Amino acid sequence: MASALTARQLTGTIAYVALSALAVAVVGLLPMDDYTMHILVQTASFSIAVFGLTVVLGLCGQINLAQAAFFGFGAYAVGLGTADLHLNFWIALAMGAGVALVMGAFLGMTTLRLGGHYLAMVTISFQQIVTLIMVNWIPVTHGPDGIGNIKRPAMFESAHAFLGLCVVAMALIGYIVWRLPQTPLGRSMRAIRDNELAAGVAGINVYRVKVAAFALSAVLGGIGGGFFAGGFAYVSPDQFSFAESIVFITMTLLGGVASPVGALIGTALLIVLPESLRFLKSVPGLYLAIYGLSIILIIRYMPDGIWGFVQYRIRRWFAPPAFTDAATELTLVPARSTNTVDAPMALEVEHLAKHFGGLKAVDDVSFSVRRGEVHALIGPNGSGKTTMLNVLSGIYKGTAGRVVLGGRDVTLLPPYARTAAGMGRTFQNIRLFRSMTALENVIIGAEHPGNDIGSGHAALVERARAALAFVGLEARAQELVTAFSYGHQRLIEIARALAGNPSLLLLDEPAAGLNSTEKQGLRDLLKRIAAKGLTILIIDHDMTLVTEVAQRITVLNFGRRIADGVAADVLRQPDVIAAYLGSEPDAPALA
Amino acid sequence: MDIVLQLLFTGLGIGAVYALVALGFVLIFRATNVVNFAQGEFSMVAAYLMVVFAVDLHWPYGWAFLASLTGMALLGAIFNLGVYYPLRNRTFLPVIIATIGASIFLANTVLALYGPQPQVLSGWFETPGIQVGPVYLDSQYLLIMGVTLVLVGFNFWFFEHTMLGKKLQATSQDKEMASLLGIPVAAMIMLTFVYSALLGGVAGILVAPILFVSIQMGSTIALKAFAATIIGGFGDVKGAIIGGLALGVIETFGAAYISVPYKDGFAFLVLVAFLIFRPQGIFGERVAEKA
Amino acid sequence: MPLLSLEGLTVRYGEIEALRGLSLSVEAGEVVTLLGANGAGKSTTLRTISGLLKPTAGEVLFDGKSIAALAPEAVVKLGISHVPEGRRLFPGLSARENIMLGASNRGRMAKAALISESDEMFDLFPDIRPFADALGWTLSGGQQQMVAVARGLMAKPRLLLLDEPSLGLAPVIVQKVFAIIGEIRRRGTTVLLVEQNARMALSVADRGYVLETGRLAVSGKPGELWSNDEVRAAYLGGRIDKGLA
Repeated sequence: MASALTARQLTGTIAYVALSALAVAVVGLLPMDDYTMHILVQTASFSIAVFGLTVVLGLCGQINLAQAAFFGFGAYAVGLGTADLHLNFWIALAMGAGVALVMGAFLGMTTLRLGGHYLAMVTISFQQIVTLIMVNWIPVTHGPDGIGNIKRPAMFESAHAFLGLCVVAMALIGYIVWRLPQTPLGRSMRAIRDNELAAGVAGINVYRVKVAAFALSAVLGGIGGGFFAGGFAYVSPDQFSFAESIVFITMTLLGGVASPVGALIGTALLIVLPESLRFLKSVPGLYLAIYGLSIILIIRYMPDGIWGFVQYRIRRWFAPPAFTDAATELTLVPARSTNTVDAPMALEVEHLAKHFGGLKAVDDVSFSVRRGEVHALIGPNGSGKTTMLNVLSGIYKGTAGRVVLGGRDVTLLPPYARTAAGMGRTFQNIRLFRSMTALENVIIGAEHPGNDIGSGHAALVERARAALAFVGLEARAQELVTAFSYGHQRLIEIARALAGNPSLLLLDEPAAGLNSTEKQGLRDLLKRIAAKGLTILIIDHDMTLVTEVAQRITVLNFGRRIADGVAADVLRQPDVIAAYLGSEPDAPALA
Repeated sequence: MDIVLQLLFTGLGIGAVYALVALGFVLIFRATNVVNFAQGEFSMVAAYLMVVFAVDLHWPYGWAFLASLTGMALLGAIFNLGVYYPLRNRTFLPVIIATIGASIFLANTVLALYGPQPQVLSGWFETPGIQVGPVYLDSQYLLIMGVTLVLVGFNFWFFEHTMLGKKLQATSQDKEMASLLGIPVAAMIMLTFVYSALLGGVAGILVAPILFVSIQMGSTIALKAFAATIIGGFGDVKGAIIGGLALGVIETFGAAYISVPYKDGFAFLVLVAFLIFRPQGIFGERVAEKA
Repeated sequence: MPLLSLEGLTVRYGEIEALRGLSLSVEAGEVVTLLGANGAGKSTTLRTISGLLKPTAGEVLFDGKSIAALAPEAVVKLGISHVPEGRRLFPGLSARENIMLGASNRGRMAKAALISESDEMFDLFPDIRPFADALGWTLSGGQQQMVAVARGLMAKPRLLLLDEPSLGLAPVIVQKVFAIIGEIRRRGTTVLLVEQNARMALSVADRGYVLETGRLAVSGKPGELWSNDEVRAAYLGGRIDKGLA
């Protein structure tokens, strides 16, 4: 974000600052009663916590049902800090944020092995344990009595001033969350949300990003809690329970998960609305019952929330325009291998095996791919080709054998590390990041470590545009990938892999689902890629395509290698033909 | 030693309740791949229904029990139609959140209708218990263990020895293939939700005389049942039962020897420990990251 | 009137057009085979007939009546049984239980009747009788395939849809499975067989259709197809020596 903003972004920032200044002025100067000020402080501090959920849930797609616990860390830090330990507000707040950061990172680390339901349960358990401690560790937390006499920072002691401070904090943090999606970290989060597998293969260290998302979410929760404590001067454990975590989630969902604007809308609505419908609170339980029902209805009918709905409608007005200048020529400079002498073999597969229990999906297969060649891996359905490709790209761990990429043993490396070492890959069932534009998808392919293209956002954009131009789609770079035809989406996926400067490109059934015109286009593209000197390993069933682009072919059947050599020869071999057309029966006469 | 036996008895008793709720969870999860966060509320609603029929309306226990179970069957059906079925093709996150919403809705509707005062439901038997040697066998606990035994037995018989049970298993294992054979998948799922609601309901009615009947009882039981299913191995039926029993015992011993206020915390600590070190539980299969 | 008739069938699979205007027919009592390379649309065709997929255009007529809009449970009740690709036994149930569940389309049946009918299946597939009580996941590929076919037959179908029965099986086992197809036809069930193994399929079929990227490329009797270059081109691309016929 240090790099210069584009003109568009600059306009947006100025508008944002102006709006924020206006908001601060209004709350700071307009006379209002205590009640209104309390509502606004609550809205501001809750919003900050909900921004945290916008990051971890909206951007990164990870569920966090413990946000109230982090909110509580911040609140208790400020509470205990100012009331019991007589610390400065800012120091107490920083401590609270620090504790939240560590705890959030810890929660994030559980994602190494868990996702989905399990992650949800871990966060709930964490929340429950924190609540238990708050209620029962009386010597430290004062237990159910809560903490009173919480102090505000010097110079902001008056209600008006503190409210102004809260709004400033909310605006600052809101700005960060607003800009985050366009940063490398934010892009990585969105990629993980859209398609975790493809994100890893595109070079993103998925685990690290998830930990960062959780940590950031927790810090924001803590900061929000700190301001909440300062605003209300009294906190108690029941304000930071699992029910409150649900409230935070509902605010996120109602407003729209992926945007701070949505978060603000959701928060404001769910604070202000019940206050104006105060009669609902007269019957205990009625308000929350309606709350619970609304959650179900929102999930069913408005999964993108209010702002998501609006955004969808107005997107066309705010869409970035196409580029006016010409894109640069794509250069394919493969990652430097660690050997000083370039290995003649781009890829060496040595005695590779992958067993699933008793099933030998890949059984002692060896072959080599020469640098600069197009090499095809073929075989009938069920022969082990896709398993082989998954082992090569690191999605499966092989049972035995070695994978050597450009002289470097990558057998034990996870997918993102193989990408850094020079492996690029596409998927049979196209895995693009569906919420993003073509340009963003390709940028993600370009921005992995090990890709030497110069620093800064401009270099990334230039590289991405070059890759898109190479596949013929640069004119539509700023459109969402869902607007492209299937065949074009396939091309964008290839551009994403190319943008990463691979030394070896793995293509998994690139012709699948294409019509004959599209296949011809693909064939021409592959020839152009090969002409740039890039090594390609392709799996496909379309033999016409394969014979036209591949120099060498390796054939698998029942997980074993049955042929390997020059393309024309291999396809004439009897066992290869038999593998495809069928084995010799005890020949009953064909009618 | 006497104390150990007594604690063991109590632990198994409460563990049996967790086992029943956990069984309901696991059945729904196997059939639909959904973690039903409202499972505990099924128990709570059933307990309140018993209070309405047996205490407010003074019906004899047997009739009140049947009426409550009928209500639970209805609730299970409505839950399926209103919450799960419309979302069955979405990813897991919306469904989890929808079931959480349902749990909030159920708990607070009961609160709105009945008020926050915990209710008292008396035990089934006149005699409070019998003394066997050094151990005092509370009659309600005996009832719980007896009913759980019967239900687990019924569950085993139903799934292993009836065609309907086999059809339910088939639906859990491969919905699409089941539909290709002519098994009415939607009906099977409905049956699963109704059955799970009944199991949860029975658990709630059985435990009600021991705890107070309160709005919170549902979520406490549910989270413990969660922990039980994780410990036993998520998705595994016998794991749920053994996990429930084990957790009841751990918790009871923990409360006696370590600390009472943090009693509820044991379930979560054990849960977190398993999730971190052995997410597949005792009987489950490896929890694989989807490739 | 043909037993099954597809007319101008167009089916989308996600964003891909998997079938483009396919027309074919199957007469009662025949064994018809659908050939083609992987991705040609063969499995999509069967999945559309059995109701798992809905066409965007075209018709599926069974006994002259349109079934394209029916759910799978309804289609199997009409007498079309689909044995899908990959066998798909219920892994936690035994071979016999899998087979008994095959009769689920025939209304409520007494367990004793189901058991005796499954015994008849073991007569037809003697190789799996010793494994009657073994759980689905423990069986070998060939055994699973036989159980899957037996399960499909329990529906007493008039039309059996078989999807790639030879997939992943050793040649010896493939022979056994195809011998059974011959027996099924002898007993009066019509079979629509999807296969990648063209040679085996053409040795049991009365007629064949060859698909290529969702369209019909060529059709005819087995002898004609086998000597037709088009068939080889569909699988192996371009024209190659016929030296191995």
